[in-house]
Amino acid sequence: MCGISGAVGLKNISELLFEGIRNLEYRGYDSCGVALMNKTRLLIKKDIGGVEEFYRKHNVLQLKSKIGIAHTRWATHGKVTRENTHPFTSSDGNFAVVHNGIISNYRPLRDQLQKEGFKFSSDTDTEILSHLLEKFYSRSRNVEKALIKVLNLIEGTFALAFITSYLPEQIFCAKRESPLMLGIGDEIKFVGSDFNAFIDHTKNAVILDDGEYAILSRDTYVVKNLLSKEEISKPIIKIEWDSETSKKGGYPHYMLKEIYEQPQTISNALDLEPSGLDAVVDLFAKSRNSYLLGVGTTFYVAKYAKYVFSQLAQEFFPSISSDEFMALANVNKQSLVFSASQSGETFDTLSALKHAKAKGARTAAVVNVMGSSIARLVDKVVLQGSGPEICVISTKAAMSQMVILTLVAMKLALKKKVITRKTYNLHLKALQELPEIIQGILNERSGFIHRLASKYSKSRNWLYLGRGVYYPIALESALKMKEVAYIHAEGMPGGFLKHGTLAMIDDDVFSIVFVPPPEDKALYESTLHSIEEIRARSGFVLGIHFTQQGKNQDLYSEELILPNVPPLTAPLVQLVIGQLFAYFTATSLKRNIDKPRSLAKSVTVA
Amino acid sequence: MKAIILAAGEGTHISPFSETRPISMIGIAGRTLLDNTFSLLKNAGINDIFVVVGHKQEKLIERLQEQSHNGLNLHYVEQKRKLGIGDAVMQVKNKISPGEYFLLLYGDTLTAENIFSKVQQSFHSFKCPVASICLPPSNQMFGNVFLNARMEITKIIEKPKGNNLGNYVLSGVFVLPASFFKLLESSGKSMEKALKKVVAGEGLRASMWEDEWLDVVYPWEILTANKMIMDSWQESSIAKNAVLEANVTLQGIVRIEAGAIIKSGAVLEGPCCIGEGSYIGNNSLIRSYTSVGKKCSVGSGVELKNCVVMDNSQIGRLSFVGDSVLGENVDMGAGCMTVNRTVDWKPISVKNGKRKIETGLTKLGAFLGDGVVVGAGNTLQPGTVVAPGKILPACYTVNQK
Repeated sequence: MCGISGAVGLKNISELLFEGIRNLEYRGYDSCGVALMNKTRLLIKKDIGGVEEFYRKHNVLQLKSKIGIAHTRWATHGKVTRENTHPFTSSDGNFAVVHNGIISNYRPLRDQLQKEGFKFSSDTDTEILSHLLEKFYSRSRNVEKALIKVLNLIEGTFALAFITSYLPEQIFCAKRESPLMLGIGDEIKFVGSDFNAFIDHTKNAVILDDGEYAILSRDTYVVKNLLSKEEISKPIIKIEWDSETSKKGGYPHYMLKEIYEQPQTISNALDLEPSGLDAVVDLFAKSRNSYLLGVGTTFYVAKYAKYVFSQLAQEFFPSISSDEFMALANVNKQSLVFSASQSGETFDTLSALKHAKAKGARTAAVVNVMGSSIARLVDKVVLQGSGPEICVISTKAAMSQMVILTLVAMKLALKKKVITRKTYNLHLKALQELPEIIQGILNERSGFIHRLASKYSKSRNWLYLGRGVYYPIALESALKMKEVAYIHAEGMPGGFLKHGTLAMIDDDVFSIVFVPPPEDKALYESTLHSIEEIRARSGFVLGIHFTQQGKNQDLYSEELILPNVPPLTAPLVQLVIGQLFAYFTATSLKRNIDKPRSLAKSVTVA
Repeated sequence: MKAIILAAGEGTHISPFSETRPISMIGIAGRTLLDNTFSLLKNAGINDIFVVVGHKQEKLIERLQEQSHNGLNLHYVEQKRKLGIGDAVMQVKNKISPGEYFLLLYGDTLTAENIFSKVQQSFHSFKCPVASICLPPSNQMFGNVFLNARMEITKIIEKPKGNNLGNYVLSGVFVLPASFFKLLESSGKSMEKALKKVVAGEGLRASMWEDEWLDVVYPWEILTANKMIMDSWQESSIAKNAVLEANVTLQGIVRIEAGAIIKSGAVLEGPCCIGEGSYIGNNSLIRSYTSVGKKCSVGSGVELKNCVVMDNSQIGRLSFVGDSVLGENVDMGAGCMTVNRTVDWKPISVKNGKRKIETGLTKLGAFLGDGVVVGAGNTLQPGTVVAPGKILPACYTVNQK
């Protein structure tokens, strides 16, 4: 089993040939080689080993050519040696052949050729092909006729391709039983054992059938039947292939990929250089009044941070949506304006920071994109290192920012001596366990969330309720639903409900409640009250909670039970559920997940 | 890349249809599951296909011979004894060279979108063994696949205990290396054990399948499969030489194949399809999700609703067939009725052999095996299963003898 790749085009194809042959390595490899053309002179490079190694060792990419064939070999006839590696050239050096398959009558043919004076350099069945081509060409002075002669003479299975200095802009190929395909691009044509050889460049393929041969040049191609020698019009198959998909690895969408990357991005956040965080902690400690800024998702990150700073460090820092900053804030030299931004280019946040800077305030930010405007503008920046976030909807970047701000709050609390080192270490341990917990949720709960989301995907109105630090989680989860599924979802504090909104509860309004762990007694019980208020009006409640199954059985219309986690990280675990619920609702509704309407990756307009 | 389709299994749960054919030869939406697989493979650029056959292989082989001119290299390999999936895979061992990767798929699973293309793309980016995974459509737990952040499968649980697992399962499509055969041999030909060895050794990457997916196990899932394919249709098609008489009404997506005759007054509500050479009588009502196979005859005034009627079957005038599946060569007399719900709207159970299975469906008709003859005037209870070849005498209210 071997792989054949070939290309003829307008520009240098050396690199395309490399990609092609590398993508065919799955067919087995122990050695490989290429034949290129320098004007009318054939250039052959071959060696044992894998494709990458071979290319590096022989600097093959340095060689430029507009036509070439390549081969990755899995030995059938002859040992794994350089001599037995394809391509094989004719004695006069005018033909270079690659072949996949087994020529069953090669022995007598070889003996005959040797008698006629042809010298063999290998033990392979393939080498007879180049000599035969030379022999028949010398009689007819016609490459195509020589090919037909050869094909009529050989028995067994083959897919073969060759180039020749007599017609230096054409690739000849033929097939019997071993697979061969053509790739049809504009001004470039490919041949390959399968489409992996060219799929990154064209999706148009022609599948050769047994007993057919083809001649390719950069602008055109013909396929002929060996028996009738007549041209056959072959259908072009459009291979179903989305080049983006390969980049997504095994994931259907970047959004899901990025949700699944969260364990990793959290670990990255926890491994950040402590000095960077300490510098930000110092700024918070020495500033008289600090503001937390963000817009869209990052506003909810700021809101989440507001609760965490209050709980851990006993500090109240107002959170402000960046676009409202100028209308609200009175900043001076004693102030700190801290902002979060994934892209570091968010217009509203950038304007707010510039305004603050002009007033002499200190500025700091957590940003994902290095070298971005915000990263360069602020006095202290934390680069979160979450890796590129491609889906327009932020998931992993926001999660990572929340973890970083939790760390900052813990460090500030320690600095202020509000918590002991022991408590700090306990919190740190909780954060360190978070990646594994989230991995577990993804592995054991996705199916439940998927089924709930598809079951209720037709619901047009959702209330997302949470109390305390679960309130920003409700807000952010609701925003995900709006952004990706285009469904009305309203985040609200649990206690707010009875002051009017409760009137809306009916068959068409669905509620999701983020229930804290029971250890968080006061918050837990007050959250249950909110649920009872809805249930008393026969409203639907999906409870996301940490209590055992069967407990509070009648409380929820549907429930999603999470494993026990420490109260510090419980909201972050619930956020993952919020993200997945929005994602699966959107896939049920066949939304454009990675590029939802009306949203850009970095909003750089006012 | 070579593809290996496992189509040797007996599929006893899908009786009465599996008694006369392999599951992959069940016809839905105008063609067999296997045809659907072939066309997806072809569009995924795969044309070298090995089908492992066993149970009732004749029909399948015949079909392969019909198809093989169609730009596909089709071969079949026989699994002589019923020794399970692992053994079926072993049958193709000598078709795969050392070091080569191949696509392995279960013949009884169905997707409307191209799962093979997706898996190949994942393979293209990972360049190591890949298993397609999906979220199963029902609450039945099929198993649980655990992943790490790099999409590597870390653990496979085939039959989870307890109810705390609900997640991705293997969807029966893999890209595996030739070395897999060795692992199978050393695992007593257990597919599960061999896959676990891949996980522990070379590693198995996941390719998530987000679209609909179905493992066709029970007879009523033929209707689910039928709906799934019809829902993916984008446009109507009517063969040039199909005959539509005056006053035929077509609504929604309707497919009518060559030589079909639709008589005056018939109403066809899409999605539905009428196979090659079939006859639809005057004033009949063909409602959505109805698939009528080739050379069928539907008498005048018949109502068909959400049902699959396989090739060469006849339905006599003034009958109703709903939420039902009729095999090939079924002869249903005039005025027959497949009652499709109970008076109290309770979920319908199906008795198949000795087992009674809860379907959870409140609307379900009958399942008639190949060659069943239903005499005129019969009324069939919801969830009735009739074995192939069985003859049900006609039902007369006035009997002169």
